[in-house]
Amino acid sequence: MKKVLIANRGEIAVRVARACRELGLSTVAVYSECDRTALHVRYADEAYPIGPSAPRESYLRIDRLLDAAKQSGADAVHPGYGFLAENEAFAAAVGDAGLTFIGPSPAAIKTMGSKTAARAAAIRAGAPVVPGIEQPLADADVASVAASIGYPLLVKAVAGGGGKGMRTVTEPSELVHAVRAARSEAGAAFGDASVYLERRLTRPRHIEVQLLADAHGTVVPFVERECSIQRRHQKVVEESPSLVVSPALRAAMTSAAASIAAAVGYTNAGTIEFLVDEDGRFYFLEMNTRLQVEHPITELVTGLDLVRWQIRIARGEKLDIDPARMLTPNGHAIECRIYAEDPDNNFLPSPGRILQLRAPAGPGIRDDSGAAAGLDVPIFYDPMISKLAAWAEDRPLAIARMRRALDEYLVAGIKTTLPFFRWLVAQPEFLEGRFHTTYLDEVLKTRNGEPFTRADADVEEIAAIGAALQVMLAPSASVAASAAGGPAPGSQTWRARARVEGLRGA
Amino acid sequence: MQYDVDIGGRRRHVVVTRSGGGFAVTVDGRAHFVDAARIDAQTMSLVVDRVPPAEHTPARPASPGDRRGYEVSVAPLPGAGELQVHVGPVPVVVSMNGTRSWGRKHEGHGAGSGPQRVVAPMPGKIVRVLVAAGDHVSPRQPVVVVEAMKMENELRAGREGTIGEIHVRQGMSVEAGALLLVIQ
Repeated sequence: MKKVLIANRGEIAVRVARACRELGLSTVAVYSECDRTALHVRYADEAYPIGPSAPRESYLRIDRLLDAAKQSGADAVHPGYGFLAENEAFAAAVGDAGLTFIGPSPAAIKTMGSKTAARAAAIRAGAPVVPGIEQPLADADVASVAASIGYPLLVKAVAGGGGKGMRTVTEPSELVHAVRAARSEAGAAFGDASVYLERRLTRPRHIEVQLLADAHGTVVPFVERECSIQRRHQKVVEESPSLVVSPALRAAMTSAAASIAAAVGYTNAGTIEFLVDEDGRFYFLEMNTRLQVEHPITELVTGLDLVRWQIRIARGEKLDIDPARMLTPNGHAIECRIYAEDPDNNFLPSPGRILQLRAPAGPGIRDDSGAAAGLDVPIFYDPMISKLAAWAEDRPLAIARMRRALDEYLVAGIKTTLPFFRWLVAQPEFLEGRFHTTYLDEVLKTRNGEPFTRADADVEEIAAIGAALQVMLAPSASVAASAAGGPAPGSQTWRARARVEGLRGA
Repeated sequence: MQYDVDIGGRRRHVVVTRSGGGFAVTVDGRAHFVDAARIDAQTMSLVVDRVPPAEHTPARPASPGDRRGYEVSVAPLPGAGELQVHVGPVPVVVSMNGTRSWGRKHEGHGAGSGPQRVVAPMPGKIVRVLVAAGDHVSPRQPVVVVEAMKMENELRAGREGTIGEIHVRQGMSVEAGALLLVIQ
């Protein structure tokens, strides 16, 4: 392996390229029309255009990705996460083209990509699963199956992910409607309308086990990640280790995870997700057959580079790490996913040009970012701009570091979720570790839109002074024009010019 | 120079005059002496004092709380004619000299009167229209779901009212700024 094509964009494409560079491998970036100046393109050794900005016409085009691989002479492909990372047809096409896919086999992706097949595999491996069924549901059986599982229950898409095609049913009268709604949503989102039923646990935690598996039969699970802080089924904050996982529970969960991976002949990096109920019992939820967004916190508490190992495993190397060491966390790590969203406006996406960006640094801080000053956050993709991780020798110090780093982080020109995180990491439930997968949605509902940023009178006074001085002294016309009402404020040309001038001044 | 600065619905009158190497600034009559050092096009380092630096003599030295340091960055927000001022990490939305702010106001608080136009904040696809013409809606009630940037985003009513015209239906693609519906 000499040259790796990275079939992704943003922070993860940069992350993978860094690992390649450390291994002495050259890198090939691909980019859509709006990503010509993106960081991953600037970082890579070579770069190929693969089409218009819409993912369907670029980052999801297997033919164009393979064409770029061929033209560049790449001999391996890393899929990152998202896009085609869990698409068995892509993994197979890469193999058929004579290239190395840095990830699991197409067969393993296919098995674990079906929720019902994955449940069956977990049961075969002797792992506990949430009570439910292992076959897609037939409409004729809905009532009897539901009665045998008990309420409340979940209707879930067999091909599901990200909370789509999922419905909660608390009593029998809601059942038929919920199944119909889930089928229609699943059909539209995944092209597969099959659904199944499982018991809905009350106030569970989402705790997952990262693992690496080589082609020689060795599977190494890692100390768990706690990912219960979620907004609308999307992880927001992750940490490792979990406050509620005892050494005995860790041993049981990690060995169940390793058995499941072994049962499907899994190779490369993957993650087994579990739910843990209030009594500390754990249940298999699903497997992600790829690198996870939140992999940095595992790297911080184990000292291992997971992407480097993905590449080494794909090259056929043997895992020679000490399994016991991977189960013993060194200190504590926390990650916040920073999004270009306006937390004070129902977390609506806030695309636009980043006029200024200063990332935090210093002891224990790691910022995996795809953003930079002068770059637009495009409207076409997930609006995550960075993953900010803090490591320290224990959880209270890690939280203190995270707070300090969040206060150092400056992103100007767009709205971000930074003010939300500054609020979240000061909440008593977070500090004491008292949360579950619906905690955040519940607390956000009670806040009823109250702003996360409350500038006090002193800060507002300084802001007024700063704005006045900037307008008086501004070297660029943009701020003054904006302040004076500008020519036809709000018009496209005015906006475009203000942005250009803002950039020129930066 | 004089400026009217609006923050959070409150107007402050700011007067700036050059003084020594820095600036004498009054905010609604309250005096500050500001040493402003430019860092880049949008950023200044401010050291703010309650008395002119020249008055810090051996007889009257600076005391704790004088000479407070702030890093302030000022950037225009897209579209809205507003400035985003960061005081350290804290973002403050500012508009100047009576410039109208056209963006959203804090939902549910600035009730206002007259029809409310609910527009698409970004290009996307209409996933669901949750209301029908004539429906009564309360503040913050979701009215339309738009899919953009991989996420389904709920757009909410800014205030109480009755749904008037609806300009979109499920499955339609909309551009940023497109009028979706009107709340009377």
